[in-house]
Amino acid sequence: MPGPELEERVNRKDGSSFEVVRLWALRLVVMTRKELLQLGRDVPLLLFLLYSFSLSVYISGAGIAMQLSNASLLVHDGDHSESSRELIHRFREPYFRFDGDVSDPKEGLARLDRGTAMVLLDIPPRFHESILGREPVTVQLQVDTTNAPQGLSAAAYAARIVGGFSFDLALSRLGAASNNQMPMPMVESAHRVWFNQDQDETWFQSISHILRMITLFAFLLPAAALVREKEHGTVEQLLVSPVTPLQIMLSKVLAMTLVILAATTLAMVTVLKPVFGVPIKGSASLFLLVTVLYTFTIAGLGLFAATVTKNQAQVGMIALLVIAPMLLLSGITTPFEAMPPWVQSLMALSPLRYYIDVTYGVLLKGVGLELLWDSILTMALLGGVLFGLGLWRFRRQFA
Amino acid sequence: MEGKEALQTQHSDTIVRVSGFVKRYKKDVAVDGVDLEVRRGEIYGLIGPDGSGKSSLMKAIAGVLTYDAGAVDVFGTRVDSERAAERIKPNIGFLPQGLGLNLYPELSIEENIDFFAQLRLVSDRDLAERKTRLLAMTRLERFRDRPMKNLSGGMKQKLGLICTLIHEPDLAILDEPTTGVDPVSRRDFWSILTELLQEKGMTALVSTAYMDEAARFHRLSFLSRGKVLVSGTPMEVQTLVPGSVVTFETTPQVQAIARLKQSFKQVESLGPLLHVFTPTADQSEARLQINTALGDLVPTALRVDEPELEDVFVALLLQKAEHKETSDAQPTAEAGHGRDGLAIEAEGLIRDFGSFRAVDRVSFQVKQGEIFGLLGANGAGKTTVIKMLNGILLPTGGAGRVAGADMRTAAGSIKERIGYMSQAFSLYLDLTVEENIRLFAGIYGLDKRAMSERYRWIITMAGLSGYESSLTSRLPMGVRQRLALGCALVHNPRVLFLDEPTSGVDPIGRRHFWEILSRLAREAGVAILITTHYMSEAEHCDNLALMYAGRIVAEGSPVDMKRQVEHEAGRLFEVVAEHPAKALVHLRQAGFHRAALFGTKLHFFCRDPVRDRDCARHALEGSGVRVISLHERPLSLEDVFVYRVMALEQAAKQEAAA
Repeated sequence: MPGPELEERVNRKDGSSFEVVRLWALRLVVMTRKELLQLGRDVPLLLFLLYSFSLSVYISGAGIAMQLSNASLLVHDGDHSESSRELIHRFREPYFRFDGDVSDPKEGLARLDRGTAMVLLDIPPRFHESILGREPVTVQLQVDTTNAPQGLSAAAYAARIVGGFSFDLALSRLGAASNNQMPMPMVESAHRVWFNQDQDETWFQSISHILRMITLFAFLLPAAALVREKEHGTVEQLLVSPVTPLQIMLSKVLAMTLVILAATTLAMVTVLKPVFGVPIKGSASLFLLVTVLYTFTIAGLGLFAATVTKNQAQVGMIALLVIAPMLLLSGITTPFEAMPPWVQSLMALSPLRYYIDVTYGVLLKGVGLELLWDSILTMALLGGVLFGLGLWRFRRQFA
Repeated sequence: MEGKEALQTQHSDTIVRVSGFVKRYKKDVAVDGVDLEVRRGEIYGLIGPDGSGKSSLMKAIAGVLTYDAGAVDVFGTRVDSERAAERIKPNIGFLPQGLGLNLYPELSIEENIDFFAQLRLVSDRDLAERKTRLLAMTRLERFRDRPMKNLSGGMKQKLGLICTLIHEPDLAILDEPTTGVDPVSRRDFWSILTELLQEKGMTALVSTAYMDEAARFHRLSFLSRGKVLVSGTPMEVQTLVPGSVVTFETTPQVQAIARLKQSFKQVESLGPLLHVFTPTADQSEARLQINTALGDLVPTALRVDEPELEDVFVALLLQKAEHKETSDAQPTAEAGHGRDGLAIEAEGLIRDFGSFRAVDRVSFQVKQGEIFGLLGANGAGKTTVIKMLNGILLPTGGAGRVAGADMRTAAGSIKERIGYMSQAFSLYLDLTVEENIRLFAGIYGLDKRAMSERYRWIITMAGLSGYESSLTSRLPMGVRQRLALGCALVHNPRVLFLDEPTSGVDPIGRRHFWEILSRLAREAGVAILITTHYMSEAEHCDNLALMYAGRIVAEGSPVDMKRQVEHEAGRLFEVVAEHPAKALVHLRQAGFHRAALFGTKLHFFCRDPVRDRDCARHALEGSGVRVISLHERPLSLEDVFVYRVMALEQAAKQEAAA
């Protein structure tokens, strides 16, 4: 029978500071276990998590291509000569796909309008004659740049092909005129591709996707868990118990960090390495360690959002508002350097920006702490501030 | 107007006929073979706890929910298809469950009304006329420009009623319109509804979880677990289970309860009083039975009354013996906390939110082993007081000690010594019973041995054995509440705070819950501070404080509080008359201004029982209303509450006018 000695056992906190710490840790562990249990019961969410870190990584890696490929090419050949055929022949796969001749440039334009073709190459009559007669001649290239990056690269590739054709013509003509090999002044560019020798885009895309998913879940999971406690009124029950606001928030971050860490490892082990063959050049544990720090940072942001919202729908909207620009502007979708300076300075506040540096640094370049410490430190600082803000709001809300 | 005579003349005129109605949600059968018939001009009641199938039935009648078997006819149209449902909808007004859920929070009162009227194609002239009348009746006209979200619960429900009735439907379907509304607004709501229906000849189907509202219906069905347990007029239902209620005092109470339980199924302790339902209508026989059961204990202040409908429902539920929840295992008496000393002391507590003073100089004391009730409407400041005492809200002024610790300086110690159960059910629905208990045991820092001791104690005390590994979301409301109580008691606290703990729990569940509370207070010396909306529950408390606008305006034991009101306003009388509406008018003309309709009955106060009673009888019979019965009723705490708050509102209004 529980007697007064129970009460003593419960309230025996006058004891050593070790006892105080032990109780504090015990409460945190109990709370963290609760979060994990609850997450484990939420089957739809678990399935979504599993999908996001496996199949979805594969789909983005295999599906998203920023490089030009398979652009539909139409040709209006006004000359039908040896030279025109040769030029056309140089527009090759995988960049361009020859989609046929048109007899009238107007028809070609109409197909550009309809969106069934991307590039229209117009070769004028007397093209061959002009070349033979050493007159300058112009071919016209019309490009659909509705999708600007694709259109621009199509134009650039086309210009290079035409330029190469012209250079070869000039070279052969010179060679033909003077039988001896005359040295030509020319500058050649020789590439040496670092870090991704095959220029395999799937590496970048699949890693980017994992970063996107980590960001999303690190924000949403703890935020939703906290706001759900507010919705259901369970948070009040916790507040009148000896659990402190710090323990309530920390337990959510701990639980969700564990889950995200597991999911990230899953993505690396099941998709990144075996499917796409991403070489993990640096230390995988350093990457996971930084991921913990990053998750903590974003979770702080999420918890802050949870303190200013009333329900899960509102948290979802805040997530769109905060996470979407972060994902778009921190450098995984577009090159950071290409953004206007004011966006760049705004994004200095985005933890994702530093996490990207570290991730690519560790995974693809194989660098370590010695080069990345400043990014990691900035991220830690941001995390501390965000978490502190969340804690401050959470305390204030109920006082 | 045909409505007024409806009850007498139009019995054959059926508005709703439901037969063999079955509704399933996946595997769960929500409603299982219900028959009922609603006649023109009546207020038909559906009574039952949460999850008894009331809402499903009402939605199907309103044509917004399909059903699995049986037939529903409304105005003679079989509601079995989308098209049929559309045909009946123009003549129906439906108020869904939940405070103001059908209204638009951002729109003002007037905009809400206009919107519903336009939706129902009410002509501008009718709208203007009805709006003026309804706003006056509900006393909302002063607030017509106030956004709905800024209204109190009672006001929202009144606005909901206006919006539901603005097109003057033939049938109004109101799903738990008074749940979560304070007693004064509840009475208001009922008198408006009754008057409107009588005047317009409308019919209403109304559901409620408050058993004491049952007497307000013309006819009713009592639902339990998807089945009709009983239907008929309140009178008919009452005669189904003949019995009397015997109330008396005796000491020692614990021993008396043990003895009485051997002979009677319904034994409740109401503070110092015991309340026993005896299965005999004969009053002297009832006294005899009690005396026999008590043996050498002597009852004092004994009185015998007719049973209330709630007693009847509980008796019926027990007869059907479908309640397996009553645990035979009695709560083991746990360690006493000692009767001496004060558990809670509040001295001049003040709390401001901006310029609004939510709590104004509140002082009271609760001893160990005492059950103390804090009553008041929504927004009276009850929850704020509790939060301050719990140490989660700092007071603006005043002082307080809880379980021997100062609430300003030792909030941490307070948290370790108190148990708290909040308004909404606040355990984790996605955890099992065991996981919930272990979570809170861990939070309170119990070691392994203490945890398993307390775990077993809670399972027995709350009657949870067999439920250990069930998900909390699957438990019936009554079991959930007991689990929440168990979790609040996991660390054996000296003081227990309960904020409206029993909303939505069925009557047997509520009684079982109170039985546990009484034992905790009587046997273990736990001090309990409780707030409740159920005035019938307030009777269980040893002492009460009534809060109004942040202040305590009345306090004392339930008996004292009733005595005070009787002293000020007189005795309460009940009339059953042939034409209740007409009778009401005549009574008010005769000077009984507080007279009010209560279902088919009328209640009024008499200062001088003999003279006033004759006066009332003369007034009624003189104007041709036959009086069927006229007798004194014991004052309920709800009467006390309403009387006090009405007087205060009156005073506030006069002050504002002056």
